[in-house]
Amino acid sequence: MSYLVRRLEFFVITLWAALTINFILPRIMPGNPAQAMIVRFHGRVSPEAVKAIEVAFGLHSHESIFQQYLEYLRNTLTGNFGTSVTFFPVPVGDVIKQGLPWTLGLVGMATIIAFVLGTLLGMLSAWRRGGFFDAVLPPVFIVISAFPYFWLGLLVLLAFALTLGWFPLGFAYDLTDSINLSWSFVGQVIWHGFLPALTIVVTSIGGWILTMRNTMITTLAEDYVKMARAKGLSPIRIMLMYAGRNAILPNLTGFAMSLGFVISGAILVEIVFNYPGLGFTLLQAVHSEDYALMQTLFLMLTSAVLVAVLAADLLTALLDPRTREQG
Amino acid sequence: MAVRVVTDQVSVETAVVSRRGIAGTIARGLTANRKAMAGLVLFGLFLVVAILAPVIAPYDPHALQFGQMVQPSGAHLLGTTGTGQDIFSQLVFGTRESLLIALAAGLGATVISVVVGVSAAYMGGLWDHILNLFTDVFLVLPTLPLMIIVGTYLNNRGLLVLVAVIVITGWSYGARQLRSQALSLRNREFLEAARARGERSLYIIVFEVLPNMTSLIVAIFFGAALYAVLAAAGLQFIGLGDPNSLSWGTMLYWAQANGALLAGSPVWVLAPGFCIAALGAAFALINYAFDEISNPALRPVRRRK
Amino acid sequence: MRRRDLFISSLAALALLAGACGGGSSGNNNNAQKTVGGVLTIDNESGALWQCDFNPYNGSVNGQSFGVLYEPLVYDNLLNDKKTPWLASDYQWSTDNKTLTFTIRSGVKWTDGQPFTAADVVFSFALLKQHPEADLQSDWQVIQSVIQQGDDKVAFTFNQSAVPNFYQIAGQTAIVPQHIWSAFKDPAAQVVKDPVGTGPFTMSACTGQNITYKRNPNYWQKGLPYLDTVNYPAFLDNDPANAFLAAGQAQWGGQFIPNIDTYYVAKDPKNNHYWFPPIDNINVWFNTTLAPLNNKAVRQAIAYSIDRPSVSQKGEFGYEPPGNQTGVLSPTFDSWIDKAQADTYGYKFDVAKAQGLLQQAGFTKGSSGIFQDSSGKKLSLSIINIAGYTDWVASVQVIQDNLKQVGIELKPVNLEATAYFDKLFTGNFELAYGSVNTSPGPSPYYELRNTLHSATTAAIGQTAAGDYGRYKNPALDALFDQYGGTTDPAKQHDLIKQVEKIMLEDVPVIPVTEGVAWYQYSTKDFAGWPTKDDPFAAPAPWNLPDWEVTLLHVYKKS
Repeated sequence: MSYLVRRLEFFVITLWAALTINFILPRIMPGNPAQAMIVRFHGRVSPEAVKAIEVAFGLHSHESIFQQYLEYLRNTLTGNFGTSVTFFPVPVGDVIKQGLPWTLGLVGMATIIAFVLGTLLGMLSAWRRGGFFDAVLPPVFIVISAFPYFWLGLLVLLAFALTLGWFPLGFAYDLTDSINLSWSFVGQVIWHGFLPALTIVVTSIGGWILTMRNTMITTLAEDYVKMARAKGLSPIRIMLMYAGRNAILPNLTGFAMSLGFVISGAILVEIVFNYPGLGFTLLQAVHSEDYALMQTLFLMLTSAVLVAVLAADLLTALLDPRTREQG
Repeated sequence: MAVRVVTDQVSVETAVVSRRGIAGTIARGLTANRKAMAGLVLFGLFLVVAILAPVIAPYDPHALQFGQMVQPSGAHLLGTTGTGQDIFSQLVFGTRESLLIALAAGLGATVISVVVGVSAAYMGGLWDHILNLFTDVFLVLPTLPLMIIVGTYLNNRGLLVLVAVIVITGWSYGARQLRSQALSLRNREFLEAARARGERSLYIIVFEVLPNMTSLIVAIFFGAALYAVLAAAGLQFIGLGDPNSLSWGTMLYWAQANGALLAGSPVWVLAPGFCIAALGAAFALINYAFDEISNPALRPVRRRK
Repeated sequence: MRRRDLFISSLAALALLAGACGGGSSGNNNNAQKTVGGVLTIDNESGALWQCDFNPYNGSVNGQSFGVLYEPLVYDNLLNDKKTPWLASDYQWSTDNKTLTFTIRSGVKWTDGQPFTAADVVFSFALLKQHPEADLQSDWQVIQSVIQQGDDKVAFTFNQSAVPNFYQIAGQTAIVPQHIWSAFKDPAAQVVKDPVGTGPFTMSACTGQNITYKRNPNYWQKGLPYLDTVNYPAFLDNDPANAFLAAGQAQWGGQFIPNIDTYYVAKDPKNNHYWFPPIDNINVWFNTTLAPLNNKAVRQAIAYSIDRPSVSQKGEFGYEPPGNQTGVLSPTFDSWIDKAQADTYGYKFDVAKAQGLLQQAGFTKGSSGIFQDSSGKKLSLSIINIAGYTDWVASVQVIQDNLKQVGIELKPVNLEATAYFDKLFTGNFELAYGSVNTSPGPSPYYELRNTLHSATTAAIGQTAAGDYGRYKNPALDALFDQYGGTTDPAKQHDLIKQVEKIMLEDVPVIPVTEGVAWYQYSTKDFAGWPTKDDPFAAPAPWNLPDWEVTLLHVYKKS
């Protein structure tokens, strides 16, 4: 089981690294939240009010850095993320709770669609090596994956929402509705999420296709595939169950680790589509130098990727005997 | 930014090449590869535009002397900006900075990749473990949030900062690929031979290991350059660049700030975005081609009639 | 994206000028056609999701509550300083202008049915005294005491003549119910999810992306408001907000829209309108403690070196009009401007005049075309600016170009907002581009005093509340102090004209353009909007508490 031990070590260390980066960055950089408050109010806060804010936020801490660090770790691990400056006096946890479901939903769905579709296309492309798919798909998606997410988002918005009017101009659901579990509400969520999801799928699918194609090509040369062919098994079965399965497995963790890239792109997509997720909240936090909110968001996004990685690791260990032997 | 799936599936069947043959191998591979040719031509085109910018651009890209948001015409091929600058001239001059960022950040990231990846593989043991862990940590951290945070806090919008931020967040992918390939080379006979000759490690790495990884390093360089193009555009788009500088990302920022897409000047948004995509595509194509060269199994099959 | 004014929305202080009949009661004419009903949607980039906190004493969220939910004592119209009794039915200054007595309106009810009383007013101000962080208007800097007299009178005493402070105290401070707020330990940080106010609307539903306000049927101005429902969506960025407005999905905008005529008006030329009244000056500030900026001739020369109309056109699409050297907003405060006096100086882009002034001041033109002093040092100045305000960055590009033609080198330094304000407040700059960061008021006095009065400044390195340029002129300070002690409009006008004289002669700052209230409205389904000809309220949805007055006037067309 040393494979899992190694992965757990990675999990813990990465989490610790993210935590520590969060702690160090704001402290070695200039600026303070009270000044940031002024910015948020377009500077129209009197210096007296600023002083009041500084006191309210406990900025004049006399603790040593080390003490602050320990306290920071303790607070974070117990889920106490502090108060948001941007959304003063709302606790950071509440701010994040508001945006998290939308980002998880949007990025999650888009990633799953891109992964499933991309993997299938990649398999097909490798299976029919030199065929139509293989000739067309890789170059097309190499080019598309070079598009900036936000730029494609802008184009899609212009074409399908503004010009054709097929899709709404933003938001996660109809403005005046409230969150509920009716079918019409689910329909709204899908309708509103379609364009941003499409943008993420189109720009990210290329990576899945190409990787899957490349691993699949290697796998197809393996003896057990040749053996299966010799046995006269149906091509579809060989493609999916023999070659495909074994090509996906070593990539599962890699796929999960790549989520960080997708999330990064999704942040810009959210801004373009006025989608109420964490991406915009992060930008907002950075503009107001909202230390607490920023730290927590970065941590959340990192944790999300890490959990995905861990899940992929477990799945790999479960399904792929090779990892167990490796040790 | 484009998704790059993290994978260890880097070729283990790299042919051992003699130092003299590297250039030839690469050149032959490139000319035989249509994707690479397309990428190279595109890249060359941008290089020429960057060098000849003053000749190609009809106006001073900073001059505010024209009408605001003028539609494309003979006088202004792509129209003018909200402050009355010629968009085509800006696009031409913007090539310089965009290209510079891409190449500088690509180079920086590649150097770190090589140092970390190859030394991890070559030193092995605990060092390998630590460096590998270090690489994976950087690989998993969501890059854009990290870049945004670092970029904002540095409170300096210079080019150097932009490049540094991109390098810091962009080296890990290549390091991982290089480590895998270096590992596969570590116990090859020619290295054993070099060790037997009593060569120093550094000598072995620089003169024996690296030359055999040239095509992968080149692939990584172009991959990192692609990442840099997109990352820089993203950062500049959300306003973390120097607004007085002239690059495609900054142009997009200004266009977006002026609502160009909706205010009847879509070209202002389309043109720089298209250039970013085209340069990115050039890098992506070359990157892919070199991946194929370093792993011959991936090469497209020519069908016989 | 991220132009100036994006974050203003939540600022109580920002209520504006705009004149004429400001009372809700004035909305009652033509009652025949106005029926109750209609759903109006506001379009204003908030830059963040709603937090559903309706606390009027929290500067980051009061833009969603002060006005429509909580009201002031008097609605003070800033353009002509016309005051409409609101929660106070009357008020009276003592002869020495040091005591102000309000008569509290009877028959007003909180939205939970409890009666509104003078005790609520005393409580609200006592709360602000105890919790200075909630005192967004710094009311207690001049107030000495707030005492209830009899059933319905509240007397404010001041430690000095405080005539101009009427605006902040009566017009900009929200009154809250004692029976609810007495339980709040930390009023500035209290999250108020279920607001109880006296206003014309109640908050009926709130999600991160939208707030729904419903008509308060028991509002004290009988028959008002006309509107049944007001939706206030949260827009994260300027572009989606503009698109929403242009698509006709919202009827009332407070947005900067580039190319507004093609983008917005052309979509429905009959019904889509806009009006951008000026509200503050955007200046070039001099650090007057540094040579050569301590030299009046150099400051004058720079004032003649800036092509204000060109800055307005290129930098601001002409939407923010050129400023003038008197520092008095035009057309907003035109009646205060001494035109003849301004004309004798005739500040406009004049290369020859600027060069002449520089030569008189001992500068000679160097071989590079840039002026230099007798020691050969180039006349090269840096100017700090906010990188995120693209219109300001563009404006400074134009100014840089202007100054170059005269022979002055200008080096823009574009900073993060935080760093910018730090340098601005502490006087750590040569030139700075921007406005004074205090609330404007109903006369030129407010902005000019905050820009120039030495009482608002501080030593270099210390944080200054205003007068970032460290300009000191005792004669000027005296003019402002006299203004504070008089309620006589003629005297006030005379004093401001003397201030203008100093602005023109001494050039302590250069007003380059005038910041405006962004305001778009559609007459397709709704009427009763504030207009240039009937400016009964400052028209942007982020003008507090004026948006309440606008929402009291607007009605659905039948």
